[in-house]
Amino acid sequence: MPIQRRRFVQAVAAASAAPALLAQPPAPIVPLKISTIAPDQASEPVLKFFTAVQFATLRHAAALLQPAYNNLPGAIEAEAPEFLDFLLAVSPPTRQTLYSNGLNHLAGEAKRLFSKDFAALSAEEADRIFKPLIVPWTFNPPPNPHQHFLTDLRADLRTATTNSAPYAAAAASSSRRGRGRTGAGLYWLPIDPTRR
Amino acid sequence: MPTPTYDVLIVGSGHSGGMAAATLTALGVRCLMLNAGPVADLERDRVNKSAHDLPYRGFGKPGLHPHIFQANEYNANTWVDEAEVPYTHPTEAPYNWVRVRLVGGRSLFWARLSYRLSDFEFRAADHDGFGENWPIRHADLAPFYSRVEAQFKVVGRKEGWPQFPDGNFVESEGAFGSGQPDSECQKRITAAATKMGIGVSRLRAAMGDGALASSVNLSLPQAVASGKLDILPNAVVRQITTDPNTGRANGAIFLDRHTRQERRAKARVVVLAAGTLESTRLLLLSNLANSSGALGHYLTDQQYGCTVVASMPEARDGKANPKLIGGGLFVPRFRNLRKDEKRNFIRGYALPISTGSSADPKYFPEYGEALQKKLASYAGSCVSGSIYGDVLPRYENHVRLNTNQVDAWGIPTLHVDARYGDNERNLCKDAADTMEELYKAAGLEVIVKSEQVNPPGYSIHELGTCRMGDDPKKSVLNKWNQSHDVKNLFVVDGSSFATAGWQNPTLTILALSMRASEYLAAEFNKGNL
Ligand SMILES: Cc1cc2nc3c(=O)[nH]c(=O)nc-3n(C[C@H](O)[C@H](O)[C@H](O)COP(=O)(O)OP(=O)(O)OC[C@H]3O[C@@H](n4cnc5c(N)ncnc54)[C@H](O)[C@@H]3O)c2cc1C
Repeated sequence: MPIQRRRFVQAVAAASAAPALLAQPPAPIVPLKISTIAPDQASEPVLKFFTAVQFATLRHAAALLQPAYNNLPGAIEAEAPEFLDFLLAVSPPTRQTLYSNGLNHLAGEAKRLFSKDFAALSAEEADRIFKPLIVPWTFNPPPNPHQHFLTDLRADLRTATTNSAPYAAAAASSSRRGRGRTGAGLYWLPIDPTRR
Repeated sequence: MPTPTYDVLIVGSGHSGGMAAATLTALGVRCLMLNAGPVADLERDRVNKSAHDLPYRGFGKPGLHPHIFQANEYNANTWVDEAEVPYTHPTEAPYNWVRVRLVGGRSLFWARLSYRLSDFEFRAADHDGFGENWPIRHADLAPFYSRVEAQFKVVGRKEGWPQFPDGNFVESEGAFGSGQPDSECQKRITAAATKMGIGVSRLRAAMGDGALASSVNLSLPQAVASGKLDILPNAVVRQITTDPNTGRANGAIFLDRHTRQERRAKARVVVLAAGTLESTRLLLLSNLANSSGALGHYLTDQQYGCTVVASMPEARDGKANPKLIGGGLFVPRFRNLRKDEKRNFIRGYALPISTGSSADPKYFPEYGEALQKKLASYAGSCVSGSIYGDVLPRYENHVRLNTNQVDAWGIPTLHVDARYGDNERNLCKDAADTMEELYKAAGLEVIVKSEQVNPPGYSIHELGTCRMGDDPKKSVLNKWNQSHDVKNLFVVDGSSFATAGWQNPTLTILALSMRASEYLAAEFNKGNL
């Protein structure tokens, strides 16, 4: 379209739109009667980070390390492994390596000691793999990367579980004091963020 | 309208800047305050949320604050974003620099623990021969400490110990109050410590107003009400300007945080209160106040890494109650108070100890159901101690400009090179051994003992790099926090510290800022600046 004609068309369009807009009375504010649901009520996470074997290893480790207890959900019910997959997918490379290598180590030990997949180990068999990786707590993480991994995995599973919606719901419905500590607090919104 | 020339330009609105503004305006001095960040509205900007409603279940966005151990998803938006204002450190020597750029700075978040320095710190070099003394003594600062303690409502128990100067405390029955009866656990630890020749006291803390003891509620409102203070938020200062004829400071150039437009503000005197390392960065950027060569050097802080946790067997399995266990204890410095004490470290540390808590699961080797049972059994029975450890001010621990890296406003950043040495490690080990001995003597079971030091900066008490002293060849500031080189330039934050001491520094920062500001106002009114 030649430039002049394009300008003309634009001008006509603007001229015909402008009065209509100006003439419109302000829309009354009607509260919307629409309720919505949370993603986990209607969908499941698509795994992004772990391989199938790593994820199976993680799920089994999660079930053993952070089981349901005292009517409070465990890591599996809280979908902690699925959440960790999401978290690790967006984590710095050093963290991703720690987790990948850590899970591969668990799987490798299961093969070496029991000729099985880690996911197929009994609790007693898995305990033989966990035990050497659990070291007394120190301020800095253990220098051995597999011990470091298990230290972090235990803490991460716990946080991902106690900070989950199912855990909060179960803890809220329990009246006994101290049964379930759930994460809640004052959240600072982004304050006048810098436009970068 | 002509651009006004203010009497004093203050850079920074945290505790040090807020106190300077309140003191100066009360004495009739007209001030402009520039602050790099915006004003936070404590009602509008905070909402109650469950962790599961946060995008990362409370973990926080991975990699956002790699150096801030204190960061979580709830407070993530309050810290300085390292992508925006980066800094570097040697790979093998990590440094945690924890900053807040909101109006009020870190005063919005501090834990309010408040201890005076003693002459063991002010005259440290006289005592053990290391480094330099401060150019002031406790007696010089005592009247200012007293006024700050009254204003900030500091509570504490008087002891009459020279290494732990008593304050002008307010009465309180609350968590830190002196009126609380001791629990059995507190009594046992105190008795065990007394046998070891160690004095036990209570935490000292600023109650403030409604549990907030910040510049935004305790110093800035009165300064604004005086009509003598203008606060300009979102003003990122990049340089202190000087008169080319006299060499005196005459204002600052800053960038608007949003638009990046550069602007100039004019004043007769400049006060830097941008927080320890930011004030030093501004002086380095402005090429000012460094005839001594000490600017940027003698970076110090306190070490907090050492942790020893125990459990009181009698308080386990649901038996914990307030008579048996609960309440805090505070062991102020007790090492190297005598000149002839022979240890493998100099200076000392304090031990803050809390009783009646539950154990962090990470302290136990169990997992699964066994861990849950253990946690239930130990709930409320735990005693947890850590250290406030002195860190020696060494020349080689320093910051310098990194012209290869700029921040979001194009301003060169800092390279921080700070490392702990044998003195810090030996002191930390001594603290861990002492706590273990103390707990055992009190009949407690030790669960965890870690004597590892933390990375420098972790305590959020970075100090030094602009130290004060009588000798202009060895120090940046004189005893009034005034530049030796540029008489109308003052630095009133923690960068003026000559030694760190074990004490949380903010009470001293506030007292120094008040003292310096009164001196400044008097000199200004005499026409000496
Ligand atoms: C979680 C936490 C707990 C703490 N607990 C304690 C405690 O219990 N006891 C204790 O003594 N101390 C404690 N501290 C330390 C204490 O908060 C600080 O020592 C004190 O607040 C420092 O005050 P300041 O004014 O020197 O610096 P800041 O509070 O850092 O203020 C500096 C201000 O300068 C501004 N600024 C920086 N650069 C520029 C620039 N280029 N241009 C313009 N403005 C700039 C910033 O926006 C900021 O507002 C704690 C700190 C934290 C974060």
